[in-house]
Amino acid sequence: MSITFTCDDKQTLVSYLYGEIDHATRQVVEAHLATCADCASEVMALGDARAGLGLWVPPDVELDFTIVKKSQLPAPNLLRPARWWNTVPAWAQAAAAILVLAAGAAIANVQVKSGPEGFAVTTGWMQPAAPALSEPFDGAAVERRVERALVALEQQLRNEIRAARPQEARATGPVDETTISRVRQLIAESEQRHERALAMRFVEFTRDLNMQRRADLQNIGRVVGSYDGELMRQRQMINNVIRVSATPQQ
Amino acid sequence: MVATDEELVARSMDGDVDSFNQLVLRWERPIYALAYRVIGRDEDARDVAQETFLRAFRALPGFKGQAKFSSWLYRIALNLCRDWIRRKKRTPLVDMPEGVDITELAAEQGPVESIEDLVARQEMSRIVAEGMKLLPDEQRTAIVLKEYHGLTFQEIADLQGCPLSTVKTRLYQGLSVLRRHLESRGMTSFKSDKES
Repeated sequence: MSITFTCDDKQTLVSYLYGEIDHATRQVVEAHLATCADCASEVMALGDARAGLGLWVPPDVELDFTIVKKSQLPAPNLLRPARWWNTVPAWAQAAAAILVLAAGAAIANVQVKSGPEGFAVTTGWMQPAAPALSEPFDGAAVERRVERALVALEQQLRNEIRAARPQEARATGPVDETTISRVRQLIAESEQRHERALAMRFVEFTRDLNMQRRADLQNIGRVVGSYDGELMRQRQMINNVIRVSATPQQ
Repeated sequence: MVATDEELVARSMDGDVDSFNQLVLRWERPIYALAYRVIGRDEDARDVAQETFLRAFRALPGFKGQAKFSSWLYRIALNLCRDWIRRKKRTPLVDMPEGVDITELAAEQGPVESIEDLVARQEMSRIVAEGMKLLPDEQRTAIVLKEYHGLTFQEIADLQGCPLSTVKTRLYQGLSVLRRHLESRGMTSFKSDKES
């Protein structure tokens, strides 16, 4: 069977172009090209187009694909892509921390009062501040109160003596020695009573003062302790916020 | 002695990951080049190439050796390229590769090439890429498989799932369109060559 080739046989032309053709068919095609200028120019043009394709090269990139078993995978890298909070400026993070502190203080109802008697710090839900804290111990004021009490007591004593003398003069007329001694005795006894009373009041006052001082110290210690606890709780809350913020989202 | 693809495949199927990685090293660049020329995007071509080897590794137990390992890889890669084109619904972009240093390219061609020749080569490469962009996917893929990967007509027919005659027709039509495009872009040297 003879092999033929015509100008319309493009499939055989392509086979010839790429060299996938048997020897006998190749000879027939070459014989045709030698006599057909159109087919010869077409083969040349297609060959040039193929040559042009040789210039088109992909990028010379690093690939290095590797299959790795899960058991051979390294531990997860702790360095993760930057999250939104990593891009927040430091001043904004500081402002957020202050806001958290303020919110914590509001929740704990922390109250700080200042006045002529010093600072007072209270916590708790609408609980009135302890009296001992609103009136802290003031030694000078106590001393002034004691002095005022002593002056008042002396003035009271003098008034009583002054009131007793005219009554004695009106009742007796001529005063004998016995009466005078009796009056003097009464005055002495009165003075002694007042002195004892004054001493007793002073002792009681001193005792009350010491008790109040101890109570105030205990209250101060308790409040300071609770304030430290509150600070610790807020610090832990801030640490938790920071820890949660630093934990990458899955 | 270099192990053949079949030997490496057999070891890989026995659980030897290193053997499969030798196959990856051997075929990663051709697969990437195929993906790049078909879909025309560097990053996407990398993704397609990587996914090709992942799928091949997973499907390795089902590989019966009825075809060459390379043909099997090409089939996976072409399917992924087809999926990519269908999913993106884009015309494949075929651009001048950014990673190609035209000076290095010229050095490979010989030291006598002038600056004018370099510029002309770069311009011609760009025009060729434009021409390939004009082709339908089937014609472009057939040309890529034939020109850059040296597959036979029958192998291309098997990969594209079409008769051998269809492959030849696609090649002829694709090359003809490319030739006309080159001529329309002033590449008159072809005409002059014909006339001379």
